[in-house]
This record gives sequence, C-alpha cells and structure tokens, in this order.
Amino acid sequence: MKERISALMDGELDERAADEATHALRGEGEALEAWRTYHLISDAMRDTRLLSAGFTARLAQRLANEPTVIAPANLRRAPVKRIAFAAAASIAGVGLVGWLAFAPQPQTSQPVAQAQSPAMKTIPLPSATNDYLLAHQGFSPRVSLQGMAPYVRTVAEHPVEPVK
Amino acid sequence: MRLGRAAVVLCALATAAHAQSPESLAWLKKIQEATRNLSYTGTFVYQQGGRSETSRITRLASADIEKLEVLDGLPRELVRSKDTVRCYLPEAKVVKVERRTPDRTFPALLPERINALARHYDIALGEARRIGGFECQSVKLTPRDDLRYGYHLYADRSSGMLIGSVTVDASGNAIEQFMFTQLTIGNVTPEMVKTRQAASDWRVEDAQAAPAKLTGWTLSSELPGFEKVVELKRRMESKPVGQVVYSDGLAAVSVFIEPLEGRRDPPRTGLASLGAIHIYTREVANHMVTVVGEAPAASVQRIANAVEYRRP
Repeated sequence: MKERISALMDGELDERAADEATHALRGEGEALEAWRTYHLISDAMRDTRLLSAGFTARLAQRLANEPTVIAPANLRRAPVKRIAFAAAASIAGVGLVGWLAFAPQPQTSQPVAQAQSPAMKTIPLPSATNDYLLAHQGFSPRVSLQGMAPYVRTVAEHPVEPVK
Repeated sequence: MRLGRAAVVLCALATAAHAQSPESLAWLKKIQEATRNLSYTGTFVYQQGGRSETSRITRLASADIEKLEVLDGLPRELVRSKDTVRCYLPEAKVVKVERRTPDRTFPALLPERINALARHYDIALGEARRIGGFECQSVKLTPRDDLRYGYHLYADRSSGMLIGSVTVDASGNAIEQFMFTQLTIGNVTPEMVKTRQAASDWRVEDAQAAPAKLTGWTLSSELPGFEKVVELKRRMESKPVGQVVYSDGLAAVSVFIEPLEGRRDPPRTGLASLGAIHIYTREVANHMVTVVGEAPAASVQRIANAVEYRRP
C-alpha cells in the first residue's frame, strides 16, 4: 500500500487505483500514516515551512465547524492546470498557518481535559470568578514579565454561572 | 573502553542539552527590566477561546503606577500602585481593593529565580518576528513535563518590552495570547495613570488580605515543582476565605477555602475553563475548595484532589 500512496502523491495512478488508494486513506491505518510521512518528507526536501504541532486536529475542528453545504454543485471534470493549482494550494496553506498559529482555538482546553480524565465534570465559571482571579493574579510571577496585562482576565465580562 | 568514552560523551551532551543558553536567560531578564523600568502606554488584544478583548495599559515607572483600562464593553479599570491594586467597576459602583503588605512582596519572579525556571522549562531563543511594527526576538519556554503550559514570548529587540505572549498546551495549540497592537514608550504623565472613574460615592470592598496560617489544611501530595508561596486570609463578598498559593516560578495556582455554613445552595462542583486558567471546585470537610490556576486542567484538578483537612 505504501508504494500505492507514493504513486498517488506523484499522480501516477489511474482513476480506479487512485480511488482505491483514497479509500484506504479513510482508515486510520498504515496508508494514512504513509501519506503523512511522505508529505512531511517532501515538505522537508522542498524546505516548505512546517505546520505547527496539532495543526491537523485544529484544521479538522475548523472544518467540523463549517456549515454543511446541503446542495453541492455538480462536480465537473475541468482540465487542471497542475502547476498553478499546486502553487495556489501552497500559498493558501501558508496563509492559514500564519493565521492559525496566532489564533487561540475555542474550547481546545476542555476536550483535552475531558480526554485526560473522563470523570472531570465541566461546569460554567463560578459567579465569583473575577474575585478569585483578582485575588490570585497578584501572586502570578508572570506579572513581572508582563506588567498588568494578565489582570485583564479579572475584569473581563465572562459568561458566569447565574447568581442565585 | 571505547564504550565507556562514548557514554561519557553522551552524558556531557545530555547535560549540555539541559543547560540553558545564557542568551535566552539574558532575554528574560531584559524583558523583566523593561517591564519594570520603562514608562509606556499601549493597546493590546487579549484572545482566548475565540473571544478577544482590547485594553489599554499605561505605566509611569518613576511613580511605579500602572493602569489597565478595558476598551470593549464596560469601561472597567484597574490601577496598581506600589502597595495596592484597585479595581473600578462602574456598573456596580464598586472599588475592589487588594493591598500588599511588606512581607507579601509581589511577584515572585526575581532575577535569581529566572535561572531556577530552567528546572521546569527548557528556555531557548526562537525566531525573530515582526509584530505591530516592532522587530521582536522570541523566547520559548517549553515545559519539561505536562504539568504546566509552555510560553512563547516576543520581545522588542531594542527596548526589551514584551510585545506578545502566547500560552501553548502540550500539543502546541495556542490557548491564550496577549499582543500589543500599538505601543509608545515614554511620554507618560501622572494624569494618564489616574482613574477616569468618579469613585467618591462608590462602595469600597477591601479584601483585607493578610498572611495567616490555615490550621489543619494541607495537601496530601504537592504537585512536582509547585512550591507554597504564601498562605493568607482575606474577605470575598464579605465572607472570610483562606488562600494558599503555589508556584513553579512562572505559573501560579491558588487554593481558596471557604466555609459552606450559611450558604443557601450547595456549591457546583467540577471544572471550569477560561483560556489558560482552570478553576476546579470540590467540597472538603464542609468547606468549598476552589483551585484557580494558569496550568493544565489535570494539574489544577490534582492539587484540588490533594487538599485535605486534618483536625489539629
């Protein structure tokens, strides 16, 4: 299968073989692993900027958040201008990395926390969150590197648990 | 014999890998000195969980006064002087006051402690990067275990001011960041660090925090690298609350202990998150224990679960 994946990447498979290889990629097996490794190698050889760690997971999450297109347009085979297409794809890739690298992802920490400990129950922020943060912040050594900036958390309007 | 020599070389290499480059430690010191010694005013964006907020920070170094104004939504302000932090909340017409006593000197990152940080973080210089018009040097602090977060700091090459900082989790995901979008160094007048809020008729809530021993309360096991920094009593919403702070030199975790007596409803227990901050609440010996810290959820939960009360 590894040879097939390599051939697929080089555009050397015919339509049926390509379909089979793409199908194999859907499983989380050897084929997908090879696909990733070969791309990593080819990126390294071409000195392409590497994606940051966790890029795949974040991209998958962004895609999952995209609205579903209910009626897709008919796919028509258009003559592909390979070079232009590849160049456009790589530019889009770099743009996305630049943007993702500097954009904290929503809710990343919570699913990770839940994965580590399934027993951990997630609750809304306590109504006294800002009081806790104000009391806590003064003892954070980060203040000596950053001045008061981290204090912004203590006055931000968080969606907290309603006070009863 | 040959094998032995190879082992010696390997050991030497391993030691070298753990030693921090003097340049990266020098950059941390430079950032710290700039933060303390420069007067500046600038606008920064704080981003977390898909939300971003814009604030202005102004520091007058000669008077050691710093002001933070929230520019989006309610115009809340914080003013920090040498011994007090005042938090102005216009919607409630309340001023919250946190005082520092001489034996509670803030904050813990002293120059000699920067070297000690290397026990928990690998500190290295990263790439140069241009942010908001500033040529920045990046310093990356990568944790040596999964008990703490990593930090990517971006400092202005000429002044040493911290232009941006990104907190990253173990997978390298950015979970929180601060970035200056505009910054002017110098030209700060005393007028600029005064509060704009008319606070004469506002209610003053003084936390009356003072060092105190919280008798009977301990951790059954401490989190590796996090040492007790301070133990104190304070008031929160006019109720007495105990607070114990643990820190690894960069990240800090506070344990708050409040009696449950007099509460109408049982506390909600579990984990809440706010960017790099996690808050874990549980009940221990008829008290509500709330652990608040800029550390991964599992670390905050570990500290919370280790809190115990032993009748003295």
